[in-house]
Amino acid sequence: MWRFLGTRIAMGALTIWITTILVTLLIHAVPGDPVQIMYAQSQGTTPEQIEEVRRSLGLDRPIPVQYAMYVERLLQGDLGHTIRGGQPVLEVIIQRLPNTLLLACAAMFIAILIGVPIGFLAAYREGTLTDIALMIIAIAGISMPHFWLGLMLLFFFALELGWLPVSGNGWLNLVLPALTLGLSNAAIFARLTRSSMIDVMSQDYVQTAFAKGLPKALVLRRHVLRAGLLPVVTMMGLQFAFMMGGAIVVENIFSWNGVGRMAVEAIFQRDYPIIQGFILTFSVVVVFVAIAIDALYAVLDPRIRRS
Amino acid sequence: MNALLSVTNLSVSLGDTTLVESIAFDLEPGEVLCIVGESGSGKSMTAKALMGLLPPKAAAQGKAMFDGMNLLSEEVTPPRGTGIGLIFQEPMTALTPVLTIGLQLTEALETHGLCQKDEAYERAVAMLERVGIPEPETRMRQYPHELSGGMRQRVVIAMMMLLGPRVLIADEPTTALDVTVQAQILDLLREIVRDTQIGLILITHDMGVVAEMADHVLVMRAGKAEEFGKVAEIFSAPKAAYTRDLLDAVPRIDSISIREDVASDVLLSAQNISKTFNMRGSLFAGQRGQKALDDVSLDIQRGETLALVGESGSGKTTLGHVIARLTDAEAGKVLMNGTDLTALSGRALQAERRAVQMVFQDPYASLDPRQSIGRTIAEPMIIHESLSKDERQSRVFDLLEKVDLSPDAARRYPHEFSGGQRQRIAIARAIAARPTLVVADEPTSALDVSIQARVLDLLDALKRSEKLTMLFISHDLAVVRQIADRVAVMRNGRILEMGPASALFADPKHPYTRALIDVAPVPDPTRKHGVRPVLKGDYPVGPLSEVSAGHWVAA
Amino acid sequence: MSMSAQQDAPKAPPGFLRRLLRSPSGAIGLGIVLLLLFFAIFAEMLAPYNPNKMGAGGRFLPPGGKHLLGTDEFGRDMFSRILFGSRITLLIGAVAVGISLTIGMAVGMIAAFRRGWIEAILMRSTDVLFSFTETLIALSFVAVLGPSLQNAGIAVGVAGIPFYARTCYAAALVETSKPYFEASISAGARPARLVMVHLLPNVLPTMIVVATLGVSTAILAAAGLSFLGLGAQPPTSEWGYMLAGSRDYINRAPWLMTIPGIAIAITVLGFNLLGDGLRTSLDPVERK
Repeated sequence: MWRFLGTRIAMGALTIWITTILVTLLIHAVPGDPVQIMYAQSQGTTPEQIEEVRRSLGLDRPIPVQYAMYVERLLQGDLGHTIRGGQPVLEVIIQRLPNTLLLACAAMFIAILIGVPIGFLAAYREGTLTDIALMIIAIAGISMPHFWLGLMLLFFFALELGWLPVSGNGWLNLVLPALTLGLSNAAIFARLTRSSMIDVMSQDYVQTAFAKGLPKALVLRRHVLRAGLLPVVTMMGLQFAFMMGGAIVVENIFSWNGVGRMAVEAIFQRDYPIIQGFILTFSVVVVFVAIAIDALYAVLDPRIRRS
Repeated sequence: MNALLSVTNLSVSLGDTTLVESIAFDLEPGEVLCIVGESGSGKSMTAKALMGLLPPKAAAQGKAMFDGMNLLSEEVTPPRGTGIGLIFQEPMTALTPVLTIGLQLTEALETHGLCQKDEAYERAVAMLERVGIPEPETRMRQYPHELSGGMRQRVVIAMMMLLGPRVLIADEPTTALDVTVQAQILDLLREIVRDTQIGLILITHDMGVVAEMADHVLVMRAGKAEEFGKVAEIFSAPKAAYTRDLLDAVPRIDSISIREDVASDVLLSAQNISKTFNMRGSLFAGQRGQKALDDVSLDIQRGETLALVGESGSGKTTLGHVIARLTDAEAGKVLMNGTDLTALSGRALQAERRAVQMVFQDPYASLDPRQSIGRTIAEPMIIHESLSKDERQSRVFDLLEKVDLSPDAARRYPHEFSGGQRQRIAIARAIAARPTLVVADEPTSALDVSIQARVLDLLDALKRSEKLTMLFISHDLAVVRQIADRVAVMRNGRILEMGPASALFADPKHPYTRALIDVAPVPDPTRKHGVRPVLKGDYPVGPLSEVSAGHWVAA
Repeated sequence: MSMSAQQDAPKAPPGFLRRLLRSPSGAIGLGIVLLLLFFAIFAEMLAPYNPNKMGAGGRFLPPGGKHLLGTDEFGRDMFSRILFGSRITLLIGAVAVGISLTIGMAVGMIAAFRRGWIEAILMRSTDVLFSFTETLIALSFVAVLGPSLQNAGIAVGVAGIPFYARTCYAAALVETSKPYFEASISAGARPARLVMVHLLPNVLPTMIVVATLGVSTAILAAAGLSFLGLGAQPPTSEWGYMLAGSRDYINRAPWLMTIPGIAIAITVLGFNLLGDGLRTSLDPVERK
């Protein structure tokens, strides 16, 4: 088991390291002079100020030196400063990150809570009308763009019915964005759970369980469920990453004050320090969650736990 | 006397198709009934019907009287586990991977209300011991993946026997196991029958196993019963033509085949071949490796059939691959006609490749599903020779004829052919390259017995007509006896004994060879084995020394 | 580029089309996709108005009458915009999948074929890129190159490469370990022949299914980018962009929001169904 986790952690570290490299190179991939572009929007910056920025960002030095400077500052917790307003990027991100994480977790919770039981039910009643109906709903759910779902929910629940507020940061505000993100992903979990369960049910060991004379409910509960949920757990890491990505759009729709919204604004304003900080943060969060879920999987699957 | 299980007119249908028709037999307590048939004969369906475990759309009719009730009737739920038990073929997938052995053993006891938790535990441990599993208490806490195939099968037997059934159905319980393990499992089953007086229905395709185990035999083909009778009669005086054909086709380890002495020059010499497999082939791999081949040397003489025999993990397939240069050894050379095959690469290797061709075990994966048969067979010609399209085609037709297939097969695709036919196509492809050596890697293991015989005959005939030399890899000593001139016995990456087939079978010098020959089931009920000795761990694995002319044994 | 993949399609067992049509998802999916293709190709002839013409009708006209799907805040005809949007959508999907498929397949097949250190480097890199998630890669691309429809398409294409590479790698690995592959090596086949004649045709069915399903993912991703304003720029009649514009007028003209959304949903649904249908109908006809 430790070998398994060790490999995963090593890969995670590698990913983060490569991210720092890519992030440094990012600025140079921009066609044209990045500093000019960054300051194109703010009036009254003198050429001297632009040179100052260039020097402080180390853009006039060779790339390996830049990278070293970047890592050095990184280890001190310095992610640079925003172009507009000069706030420390780290601060800006830390203010907003918890909101995004909250949203992603809430959405994940909803997705699993709705998706897995539906998938299980569909597998249990494989081939019947229930199964077909549920899977039609699932495929419709996957096909729907989540930003559209968000708009629709906003329209109906906030504007038409007035049950929930349109924007803001309170708990009630979490409902719609979480539902938007959660419902779209619930469909994916439903399909995945269903196919995993059906696969397990055709395995020899399920037949053995029946051959022992065990009642169907017990076989499902004890033999099928545990084995069938393992692939679903594996997918959870991936799905969390998708949700983080989806959060970017959803935050925009509902004006939810998370890092996603921050990132999009930054892209428009060409505020590269924030963009770099965002990419790094996103990567780190995804890697951590992936490792956590891998650890969960390692504990749940005796074949890994005991190897 | 009231039979334990009395079956009359059992039929299974799936929609409009009849899968099994009018099966009848009686099973007495303490008796073994072997249901024997080739693939598609319906034997598994029959077993499932008795257990009420048919697939959803299938339906069973007829009468199977057990304990006063008809198992096949719609209103009856067969007493699974407590009345009748079922053991499947694949021990590797028969146990739920995420639950402990202990839980899987005790859960049925508790569910059926046979006893309480503590007593269930005690009974389980006792049963594990009974079926020959060492350290039973430790096993209770272990998971299936920590046990070998043979052990898992014992656990399954224990699991079923714990519930005290009166009938046990075993569906090909040893097919997936090595022959030495098979012997032990069959012995175990026989003991259980004797001690508990249950009725055992043993489903198999192996006539040797039938001769070993059966009191009565039911021969099935294509869903119908061909013959039913006492084992002695079935073997000595079979009534049905199919049974006779089946018995004829079975290779016998005690057959006496007249092989001409082919003392001739050495065609290929494998010297000091070593190969280790890494457990995890990645950048972070540790040094822990499995030695597949450990300093192996052998010579193949021109024109002979040399058989490479061993169980799984012996290294025989790896050696075959090394000789065919489909895999590279870490140490050692393969010399053929003076050329070191292992030193070649690039263009030179490509040119030499045609000299050694391989026939593989799995007929269903041996042919590219997207290429027509004609193109598949013609491939070596396309690559090496510059023939015109017509010349190629006529040669393809020629080859198809040699393997008993019609020329219009060339236009068709693999999925239109059966396993046996595909294997013949694979053979045609092998000789299309005009090789000097053919490596046949378990070419008939995946085929039914009746097909197997024909393919073996074909290989033998072609060997003579095309003047080939053959390296025949197999785990089945009976097959080897029929076809080999010389035999080399391997285990764990080393050759333990090597010599002329007649000498080796008549008087095996190495304890492992003796054990292998001993445990091989013989299709002759008059020669049932007693309890066989278990092969103890230690046996000589040193370098080979010659004990008589051409007969080498590990010291 | 995804069109050329269709031309290379192997000689599947006869009745492939019939089998596709026999599965309900395959039939419906194919129908939707063909319909969309029809709209996209003949948009000029089908559209009653110029999609970018402001004031083609009054502003915020509800669906009905001369404007089948109503008009938007600039008085542009929605029906025409939707029609032209289908062309853009399909093009973006094709470009993105084209990029992902060709590069992904190249990487996957080379890694599976070559084995050894090339395989290790390629697949580890793919794993690392994969963990960045497609959204992030696409976003970074656009951040660097600037928002535009082409960049969005390329971004989505590049972002998809790791997934296609991994899938192709897995499929190719299965094929290269099969005996028929070894038999060809034994027959003396050189790498070019092995890859083109044996590997590619056997990997293609899986990849076709993946690509078809991938079109829907790509369309959603590109629409998402446009929705954020990072893709299609005004006045392009791209559906995601249209959705973005509808936000301010949800109350006043809800059809501006529902119609593009439905269009995207139906398109994506069509490709999903088609992909599912292809998956079942391209299964090898093996019967043991």
